[in-house]
Amino acid sequence: MTLEGRGYAGKILYVDLTKNKIWTEPLDEKIAYLLLGGKGLGIWLLYKLTRRNENPFSPNMPIIFAVGPLTGTSAPTSSKTCIVTKSPATGTLLDSYCGGFFGSELKYAGYDCLVIIGKADDPSILVIDNDNVDIRPAGQLWGLTTLGAEKEIKKILGEDFKTMIIGPAGERLSPMAGVFSNLRCAGRGGAGAVMGSKKLKAIAVRGNKSVHVYDEKEFNKMAWIAHRTLRMSESTARTMPIYGTANILLVVNEAGALPTRNFQTGRFENAEEISGERFRETLWIKAFSCSLNCPIACSKIAAVNDERFGEVTVDGPDYETIFSLGSNCGVSDRNAIAYANHICDLYGIDTISTGGIIAFVMELYEKGCITQEELEGIDAKWGNAEALVRLVEKIAKGEGIGSFLELGVKKIAEKYPNGRAYAMEVKGLELPGYEPRAAQGMGLCYAISERGACHLRAYTAGGELLGHLGGIDPLTYDRTKVMYAIDRQDEKAVIDSSVLCFFTLFGLRLKEVYQMILPCTGFNYESEKDLKKVGERIITLARLYNIREGFSASDDYLPERLLKEPLPEGPAKGMVVRLEPMLKEYYRIRGWDENGIPKHEKIDELRLSEII
Amino acid sequence: MPVGKSIRMNSIFNPDDGRCVMLPVDHNFLVGPIRGLENVEETLKRALRGRLDAVMVSPGQAKRLAHLFGKRGSPALVVRGDWSNAFREKVYTLPVRSIQEILIAHPRDLLHLGATGAVIYYFIGYGDEEKQAQHYERMRWFIRNCETVGLPCLVTVMPMGEKINGANFVDFLELGVRMAVEAGADMLEVPYTQDIDTFRRIVAAAKGVPVLCAGGPKAARLRDTLEIVVELLHAGASGVVFGRQVFQSEDPAALLNMLYALVHEGKTVEEVLGLIGRRVRLKTLAEECIGCRLCEIICSSSHGSSFSMDKARLRIREAQGKYIISACTLCGLCAKACPTGAIKVNVELGRLELNEEKCTGCGKCVEVCPTEVLKLDEKRKPLICDRCQGDPQCARWCPVEAIIAEVY
Repeated sequence: MTLEGRGYAGKILYVDLTKNKIWTEPLDEKIAYLLLGGKGLGIWLLYKLTRRNENPFSPNMPIIFAVGPLTGTSAPTSSKTCIVTKSPATGTLLDSYCGGFFGSELKYAGYDCLVIIGKADDPSILVIDNDNVDIRPAGQLWGLTTLGAEKEIKKILGEDFKTMIIGPAGERLSPMAGVFSNLRCAGRGGAGAVMGSKKLKAIAVRGNKSVHVYDEKEFNKMAWIAHRTLRMSESTARTMPIYGTANILLVVNEAGALPTRNFQTGRFENAEEISGERFRETLWIKAFSCSLNCPIACSKIAAVNDERFGEVTVDGPDYETIFSLGSNCGVSDRNAIAYANHICDLYGIDTISTGGIIAFVMELYEKGCITQEELEGIDAKWGNAEALVRLVEKIAKGEGIGSFLELGVKKIAEKYPNGRAYAMEVKGLELPGYEPRAAQGMGLCYAISERGACHLRAYTAGGELLGHLGGIDPLTYDRTKVMYAIDRQDEKAVIDSSVLCFFTLFGLRLKEVYQMILPCTGFNYESEKDLKKVGERIITLARLYNIREGFSASDDYLPERLLKEPLPEGPAKGMVVRLEPMLKEYYRIRGWDENGIPKHEKIDELRLSEII
Repeated sequence: MPVGKSIRMNSIFNPDDGRCVMLPVDHNFLVGPIRGLENVEETLKRALRGRLDAVMVSPGQAKRLAHLFGKRGSPALVVRGDWSNAFREKVYTLPVRSIQEILIAHPRDLLHLGATGAVIYYFIGYGDEEKQAQHYERMRWFIRNCETVGLPCLVTVMPMGEKINGANFVDFLELGVRMAVEAGADMLEVPYTQDIDTFRRIVAAAKGVPVLCAGGPKAARLRDTLEIVVELLHAGASGVVFGRQVFQSEDPAALLNMLYALVHEGKTVEEVLGLIGRRVRLKTLAEECIGCRLCEIICSSSHGSSFSMDKARLRIREAQGKYIISACTLCGLCAKACPTGAIKVNVELGRLELNEEKCTGCGKCVEVCPTEVLKLDEKRKPLICDRCQGDPQCARWCPVEAIIAEVY
């Protein structure tokens, strides 16, 4: 039995920009069975196609756009794209997810995955029109902003093409440059810079084929149940559609877990001002689905009209952006946050890292480690909205001090070693918006995330702060908590390989996903436990990649502040993150040794030895 | 079973099918005031016009509203014998460790109030095992005293407390059900477990004691609620205890009648809602549209073209930041333009019909379609909108009801 027609197109599209060569290879059924697609497939390809210590900007480094068996079907949120490469920000594995309709279009064009290697001599774009694939000169597109380039491409090729684009930040290899699709982006870790290093400005795809599944009638029945379950979950049916992801901001603040002023505390006195409720009242004009069949529509469009910034339309801001450019910098000026978000989008950089860098700079400035002169006249005081916007502009454009700051908190701390204790990064990636001292599981999550500090790899905050699945005590760091984190991490790996949006997990459980995967693929997974095993396999494979690149337990750290400074207020007052016991237990349950390296028995048990 | 209890069981559960539709209205003293129960008497009066088997009330309601229940043919009265703070909502919400449950009435007293059955909670999952033991002791004491007066006892089993998280919810529910059964519960009420397989496990754990399923917060869509009821019955449920689903709906009596038809008469959701062979038109509300395009995907799939954006009979476009929904309006221009009469407007059923043999694939119909949604497939046959035989799938799947199947 071939994979084609069972949720898969059955083909991987390869493009070598150096040799101007384009070819396809079949997707191996065993790989699909063991790793599904998306994240699993992407990591496996990266592992196989690169040698140890390959530079992220080397022409040999692939950038992989992978979709999964559920992509393009009637499953909820079925057009997300998984992008896999090596991160220029961290040197680790990078998997990043992008909304928009590119993913399903790639599948409709007949591909499960697009692998780009090599480096073009001149700025180029890649055009995929079903079976016709060609590399074209980017011409005038090079240098344009993300939105500008998208508009031009649609003018040239037609509205029905879906795109992946980098902004000027990606072109100049900023380590926090993202890849953008329409208004959405794969922000974290610098995939945009890898694309930039290949001189590839954009990818445009059009597909007119159908996606077939193994048992369509049964599949639609299960997809219907998934949609119905999302309709019946408070968070996916009501709070997110209305208040966006920022619906949680006040709850998180109440729990003392809203990082404020570079993680000095977990309560922001002006939280009310930057809540989803206030953004809805004052700025948001509509909600939209960023992904095919998404009933959640957490995305919001903001219309900013402010004499300082003029009139701009912004996609967002979402919770993470509001935290990073807002509370983390002490800023409560909504227009400034939305405008700064807009600048990040236009030039193509990650809002979380941008905010993390600015918060760090503000603390250095407040503590007298960095001067106004060094900051080219910017008065980087806590809460100074003007300073925020000016710093964002400098970082986005890579101008002046911005070209140094864009290297990230880790690099900045090397120049200002006094700030080392409050350099909020893990493996070189800036921290996202949950204070781990008030939600201990998130501490573990940041430490073990394969791409550096990321909240989306073992999202315990759902249970710890938001009452998902009945809730779990945020302050415990025992075996139950570690098991809970592992369950969330495995589950997420399945979602990332299927590929669906993370937010479906605010309503669905693995059960509903399993029920769709079976009639989609015809695979004989006996129960959802088998699917969870796929998740575990993918997480272990990701770990093996990082181990090969020289990472180990000593890289699973947290910033000193979280381990030594007690949280000053809120329900978790006095807490530090008890990382050590959680980490030990985590390795043990995972079947990894005390150095964080997967044991041979585990690798065999997971059948990874058969494929790597 | 003693005859008194057996008579009472038969008035709660219809002896012909062993099933029951129960309406609980005892929420206010447990969760705080909620919508639909601002005036319990009025709500009950409206609801009691519908068909149902039993009503669940607090002791105070049994006393105060006695005049509603004493008539011949009135539903059986199931009266609560305990109180808890566990379900408080919104401003009254308490942390799980503060959960309390106490008995407030002796089964004898409930009998005096006219009870046909008694009901208490059993929570499983306390962090403190001593609290768990005390709760078990209370449950057993209550059931034993129900037995001495021949009153059937309903136990509502709820996983609740510090030990509960999403991963173990069903496991604890199963354990709690077993504990209640062994304590002598005559009937059980459990929360919905979100899927059939796990619900089957709960029914199996009940060892033949009838299991009723609670409704939980009101679903946004009636059809979703009814579908779940049918699935529950398939999984072995003996009926439903639906409160908010009923009294927060526009017409509680009508909803009860629908539930009754599903539970006792074996009707399908389509029958109950009258979806089959309807004459419908597609009403579109572009301002509600979120641009997810599920309507196109499902249209393509339900007409045999698998999942494709190109084979849909309707189209979502975006222009100037707004969505435009184009769907067949049954204007009939395509039929008029068809030179061979292959396309017909079926006025009676409100849909287009295509005679594939007559169709020559000339494409005239596509040229005249004012909505521009009509197109030819790879065999050059027009993809006409047949309104899915009265149950348009685009409307059914639309998550925001931007497309509505309107009967006319």
